[in-house]
Amino acid sequence: MELPMIRAQGLGMQFNLGVEKGFSLKQGFIDCFDSRKRAERKRHSDFWALRDVSFSVSRGEVVGLVGANGAGKSTLLKLVAGVLKPSAGTLTVRGSICPMIELGAGIDMELTARENIFLNAAVMGYSERFIRSKFDEIVAFSELEAFLDVPVRNFSSGMVARLAFSVATVVEPEILIVDEILSVGDLAFQAKSEEKMLQMIGGGTTVLYVSHSTASIRSLCSRVIWLEHGRIQGIGGADEICTLYENHALPCLHPGAAM
Amino acid sequence: MSFVRNLFFSLRRYRFLLRQLVLRDFKVKYKRSVLGVAWSLLYPLLTMSVLALVFSNVFRFSTPGVSYIAYLLIGLTWFNYFSEASNLCMSTIVANFPLINKVYVPKYIFPLSKCLFVGINFLLTLIPLYLVILLTGTGLCWQHLLLPYSFLCLFLFTLGMGFFLAAVSVFLRDMFYIYGIVLSLWMYLTPVMYDIDIITNRPLRFLMSLNPLYQLIRFARTVILSHATPSAAQFAGCAVPALLMLTLGAWVFKKKQDRFVYYM
Repeated sequence: MELPMIRAQGLGMQFNLGVEKGFSLKQGFIDCFDSRKRAERKRHSDFWALRDVSFSVSRGEVVGLVGANGAGKSTLLKLVAGVLKPSAGTLTVRGSICPMIELGAGIDMELTARENIFLNAAVMGYSERFIRSKFDEIVAFSELEAFLDVPVRNFSSGMVARLAFSVATVVEPEILIVDEILSVGDLAFQAKSEEKMLQMIGGGTTVLYVSHSTASIRSLCSRVIWLEHGRIQGIGGADEICTLYENHALPCLHPGAAM
Repeated sequence: MSFVRNLFFSLRRYRFLLRQLVLRDFKVKYKRSVLGVAWSLLYPLLTMSVLALVFSNVFRFSTPGVSYIAYLLIGLTWFNYFSEASNLCMSTIVANFPLINKVYVPKYIFPLSKCLFVGINFLLTLIPLYLVILLTGTGLCWQHLLLPYSFLCLFLFTLGMGFFLAAVSVFLRDMFYIYGIVLSLWMYLTPVMYDIDIITNRPLRFLMSLNPLYQLIRFARTVILSHATPSAAQFAGCAVPALLMLTLGAWVFKKKQDRFVYYM
């Protein structure tokens, strides 16, 4: 049997919400004398964004993630992308990842579009040879040929988004992580970028896809994971889990279903 | 051993990013300046002129037997590399938070890119330095071939310091202020502008000679000013602190790097 592309076992992610305050001398001084208070404060500020999450994704599967805001979807994506390290459990990811969580990581406003294509591609971990061979394709897709040597700070925000989208989607990754279908730019480019994303998702790669639109989850995903307060509430076929989730999230629209 | 192997693989994989980051710094630095890269040559020359004017005329510092200007410029070039690179390293993690939070990149690459970027500047400032060496009649000798050893040790020492500062400043933002003070104190405690022999208190002089930056500068001065081959003790005086600092810095950085994202 082939090994799964993504495999999570008892995955947990703990955040310390009190960390925001940082370290203060006064607090540190008090803590020295009152360890009970310290333990109590720590318990209050510890927060599990994910708890006991186990699942696996095989090659070519398109798996959807649903759940309310703060259920832990983005945390899970960041764990798979390697941005976060799990605090508990194990996570194995095989293959190259293209994290489309947020675009434009590493765009430098002082540099030109041409320079940014190289910088941004480097940030995504692509090799120089790869990006040189794809350069024309990126430029053509972004429709920014006329502005290649203009510093990005003079771009409109839509143009920056188009540039970032074009660089990010030029790859053929083994695992694609998508946080909502990104459609950026003006109306024409939105249609084009959405089509490109759908094409990437449908292209036989392994996909982890977060969306609040159960309609698009139903049409794209073979399997769905439903997260609630950091725990898996349900995992299974797209139709079945989406219906359960809808009934849970929108009880007033389905009278009786929430009972 | 697997740590070294992983490091090697990630360096290979991300060498393009490393080059792009260095290139970016270079481009941004000279954007919108008329003289551009020429500033890399002019700036040290001008600061050195100011300092030479002040210290040789107002305070009447001198170094018997060798050119004071060459003496001063060696110290400044070496010390400035350290202070500029370590200072830039300190803010790399904090400044790149938006990036670190979105995609996986090996985090050590940010301090490393700054040390390389300032290293290129350092090599450029060697041009005015050699100009001064020739103009002051200090002259050349074969021992100049030993200088890359001192560059390498300076680089490793600074990189270690950079790792340490970048990691610590994430958790303790006070570091940005503290280190500014530390640097200026360090500058005056390092015999850059004066000769260590003007310190008459022997225990104090001994303590000052333990300063790794002094050891690095002394190595260069032995070669350039005295045309002599540094002693084995001098070779060790450069390498040992450099490797210790690098080990300490890398250890702290590696231990703390997974926690960086919590402190945005």
